[in-house]
Amino acid sequence: MRSRFLSPHPSFKWVFLPGVLFILGRTSTECCATEPTNNNDPNASLVRKFELDIQPILTARGCNSGPCHGKARGQNGFALSLLGFDANMDFEAIVKNSRGRRLSIASPTESLLLTKATGKLPHGGGIRFTEADDDYRLLLQWIEFGVARTTDADPKLLSIHLSPEPHSLVAGQSELLAVTAKYSDGTVRDVTRMCAFQSNEPAVVSIATDGRMQAGNLPGEGTIMARYMGMIATWSTAVPRPETVPAERYVALPRNNFIDELVYNKLATLNILPSEPCSDTQFLRRLFLDAIGRIPSLDEVNRYLRDDEPDKRSRWVTEVLDRPEYADYWANKWADLLRPNPYRVGIKTTYSLDAWIREAFRKNISHDQFTRQLVTAQGSTWRNGAVTIFRDRREPAEITTMVSQLFLGLRMECAKCHQHPFEVYGQADFYGMAAHFARVGYKGTGLSPPISGSEEIVFTKAKGEVRHPLTDKVLPPKTLFGEARETATNEDPRESLADWMTSSDNPYFAQVAVNRLWAEVMGLGIVDPVDDLRATNPASNEALLAALAEHFRKVGFDNKKLLHAIFTSHVYALSSRPNETNASDNRNFSRHYRKRLRAEVLSDALSDITQQDEDFEGMPKGTRAMQLWTVRTNSELLDAFGRPDPNQDPPCERSASATMTQTLHLMNAAHIQRRITADGGRCQALAATSRDSASIIQELYLAIFNRQPEESELKTLETEFAQPNGDRRRLIEDIMWSMVNSPEFLYLD
Amino acid sequence: MQRRTYLQLGLAGLAGGSFLDLLALRQSSASEGTNTKPKSNCILIWMDGGPTHLETFDLKPEAPVEIRGEFRPIETNVSGMRICEHMPKLAKIADKYSIIRSVCHNQANHGAGNHYMMTGAPPRIPVGCGAFVSFHPSLGSVAAYERSAPHGLPSYFSMPSMSRSGGPNFLGAKYAPFVVANDPNKDNFRVRDVELPRELPFERFQSRRDLRKLVDRLPRFEEPQVGDPVTAYDENIQQSYDLVLTPAAQKAFDIHSEPAELREAYGRNSFGQRALMARRLVESGVPFVTLYDGGWDHHSDLFGALKTRLPTWDQTVATLISDLDQRGLLETTMVIALGEFGRTPKISTLSGQAKAGRDHWANAMSILFAGGGSRGGQVIGATDRQGHSAFERVLSPENYVSTVYRKLGIDPSKIYYTASGRPTHLVSDHTPIHELM
Repeated sequence: MRSRFLSPHPSFKWVFLPGVLFILGRTSTECCATEPTNNNDPNASLVRKFELDIQPILTARGCNSGPCHGKARGQNGFALSLLGFDANMDFEAIVKNSRGRRLSIASPTESLLLTKATGKLPHGGGIRFTEADDDYRLLLQWIEFGVARTTDADPKLLSIHLSPEPHSLVAGQSELLAVTAKYSDGTVRDVTRMCAFQSNEPAVVSIATDGRMQAGNLPGEGTIMARYMGMIATWSTAVPRPETVPAERYVALPRNNFIDELVYNKLATLNILPSEPCSDTQFLRRLFLDAIGRIPSLDEVNRYLRDDEPDKRSRWVTEVLDRPEYADYWANKWADLLRPNPYRVGIKTTYSLDAWIREAFRKNISHDQFTRQLVTAQGSTWRNGAVTIFRDRREPAEITTMVSQLFLGLRMECAKCHQHPFEVYGQADFYGMAAHFARVGYKGTGLSPPISGSEEIVFTKAKGEVRHPLTDKVLPPKTLFGEARETATNEDPRESLADWMTSSDNPYFAQVAVNRLWAEVMGLGIVDPVDDLRATNPASNEALLAALAEHFRKVGFDNKKLLHAIFTSHVYALSSRPNETNASDNRNFSRHYRKRLRAEVLSDALSDITQQDEDFEGMPKGTRAMQLWTVRTNSELLDAFGRPDPNQDPPCERSASATMTQTLHLMNAAHIQRRITADGGRCQALAATSRDSASIIQELYLAIFNRQPEESELKTLETEFAQPNGDRRRLIEDIMWSMVNSPEFLYLD
Repeated sequence: MQRRTYLQLGLAGLAGGSFLDLLALRQSSASEGTNTKPKSNCILIWMDGGPTHLETFDLKPEAPVEIRGEFRPIETNVSGMRICEHMPKLAKIADKYSIIRSVCHNQANHGAGNHYMMTGAPPRIPVGCGAFVSFHPSLGSVAAYERSAPHGLPSYFSMPSMSRSGGPNFLGAKYAPFVVANDPNKDNFRVRDVELPRELPFERFQSRRDLRKLVDRLPRFEEPQVGDPVTAYDENIQQSYDLVLTPAAQKAFDIHSEPAELREAYGRNSFGQRALMARRLVESGVPFVTLYDGGWDHHSDLFGALKTRLPTWDQTVATLISDLDQRGLLETTMVIALGEFGRTPKISTLSGQAKAGRDHWANAMSILFAGGGSRGGQVIGATDRQGHSAFERVLSPENYVSTVYRKLGIDPSKIYYTASGRPTHLVSDHTPIHELM
């Protein structure tokens, strides 16, 4: 259980203090400093125990890591459990397997385990330690004293702790971290040498294998993670800008709602000031693209510019969020996350899920309802699109990874097969969670790829169980943490799972939801990646995440209301231009982060700009890219700019990266050239009017960049129109091409 | 660009010994010596559907009639190396290529077989026949990731479509194949997007370029720590202009400049002309070209179909190998032809079908492997008397893929990290096929 969510400190200031220590461990939430002591040092005895003394060595020396013996099939016949999560397996592998040839009890120094690791015999993994190392001595003693294992009488590892207490660092500072392990008999050991360390921002603060931290030269924040035998401790720190900013500078900043206050609080700890506000038309372009995925029309920009009534932005936010395009835009995003491979589940089933998602966003059903309807879905794949996820993911384990990642931000994929390397969850947790889906039953015809054309009914069976893959024990449904209510005998365990997931005691549900919405709008999650909430991947602003989650609960998990709060914050409308304090800020939202338009948005924007729709095979004329229900619809543009491929695993990755294929496509694609130059398109229509060049230039700027041209821009292009023997239509087309090929169009500034 | 990318790019040097570094501890003795041979490019002829080994490179004339089929083997210019009678041109140049008869695996459906042979990794979960899956980057995407092409040319082409499992997976969209769908056998063939639109005169493109300079006024934030994504966009624009405006690059796409006789020799059909395009591309420095060649799934009418198909296929592949050889390019260009698996030794007639065929069979298959510094005229491995399974010098898809990587100049024992930080071996068994090295 994670202490940080159970006992949020009442004061945000506390949370913002750089360097907050979280101790993880299933039985301990203790976070008081314990100095390493040598009292009752277990080293006093020479009898080494496998779990206590030997497994840590295998982990610290990388023997059981993923690329070496820890991978599923081992290395050259010697397989260990990944990072030592399965002591029985490891003991067997070392002591018994291969007819016991890895150890020589008669002549311990001749043991393969030692001769390989010291490089006396050829070892693919090279020399891991020498005969002079403590590790060698410990292993040797363990073999000499009869390869002992721990018994119930032996002390158990309770927690690990990092010292000194977390604090901020100055640029370039170096400091030694120590890790102490606490055992059930009260003993404490310094295990620094045996820990694996990782920094989530090595550029800000790096950590060496001996625990030495080194702060970089740029301001920022980082969290150090130490892992020792399945226990994890983190040490968060910040390297603030060396020049302090007077407090009154922050007091003077405009605050539209709670978001602004919380962002500024964080910036103050780093001595960073937010950028200047963006322009009014920049705000409008952002609002349209972020809320409904299309650029504002000429009329809308003009109407917005003329609007000088009070509450202008708030009114416009409400108006834009209420537009019908909202549903298609957000459904398109959720389809990325939920849509299975149509070749696997069938086309009609895929279509039915798509219709279900669109309907949900058209009705703006609350996020808890949305989640519940999916998680507990029953019925026909042709009538209730929500059951599609169960048709696709037929095993409890498969649906569990999806549900926990999407709705709780917990990535359980690792725990399916081994202890999660950065997490506290293991297989028992995973399969206990999966047991909620043990009674999902199927009637009708199942999958028959590549057509899978039949109808299937998903229902709740009377029986069904999930077993632990190692122990083969039947696991009853058990939530990952907290207490879920008992499931009545005739009740679907998925109902109590949904209750637990959406309850206000479960912090993850609202946090991952708001984090996802925030990331869509702000270009980056407060936690990044958005669906990976864990202490070892800390939020850049815990208080903001918590407050957004709280707000989301308060407004009944209404997506539009949360978006309204974000859009009307002052922080949303900051310029992307860095000031003298925030150039290196890439995660605290002190300025707007530029992002490329996503594929469907771009495709629809080109239709709006050229006034020539793109034709999609098999879809009615005028269909917008945002309305496509399958990524099988042919489109060179959508392929070039990236859409999720359900054949990929994981399928929902969308790349925001810029590629040359994209620039080449915008530059030369036949269909874009045709739409720019088509009769009946905007360019031809403009050329045919008697309007003067200034008015034409204005229209192009409003339609493509969604702003008025500046005086100098107007002048420059008017000169082009004034060329003798110029072809007016051709010039208009070329200007449109030039603007479409400019980053001001392709990026949201 | 997102913050992690920027941190990795700009400031990676500061990274200390992190946990991932620990995971990355590499087997120091893994790479068996350094390869001093020049890096080779690759033309991969992907015979989608699973070409029959018993009618191409592994005939069994002594097997019972229900196995041996209608075709007879013929001698080649390499003594003892025999191939199908319907491939007379390849028979004349057998000293230029080798045949691997003993690669086999256990994924006898198209989705899984494609994945295994295209990436060197079996699918992580069972997948169906119709699946187009990707759990691991393909050979071509890895080549694109590790190697680059000059003049802004894309480094991985696939014609006329992407093969199943031919994608980049976690390497990202930048390393997806550049697909040329158009048919180079047509008189109006052009490579999409890399050439100016047909009706656009060059001067007009120039004036558009000038205009673009006038309207592009978005401020750029140059300090690298800002991570302005527009910087990458500017680089791409520059590279795109290079590609469009560099004659050497454009020449790669100009199949019309090939002499008519050579175009005839390759075969005036889509496959033949794509092979010629592939040669032009590797000649211009593109490291990886996949020719997707579908329709080898002969469950029925195997003999009828192949009687007409094999001769034209033979003509194209033999011409490609000879043409590369004459240009001195074969030494640094691999030409590989294979599909996802072989076909059942026993001839079968599926219900509802009038004509006999063979079904999926992953226990045996044949691979044609030419060039890239490999010795020709070899037959590597063998199947049993009836072609059921590889039984001599049994090799895995991993061995085959590792061979290709080594020749591309890529270390197959490399470890990549997925977006979530999971370490992944490029190839789990990185032993190449030594006969070809």
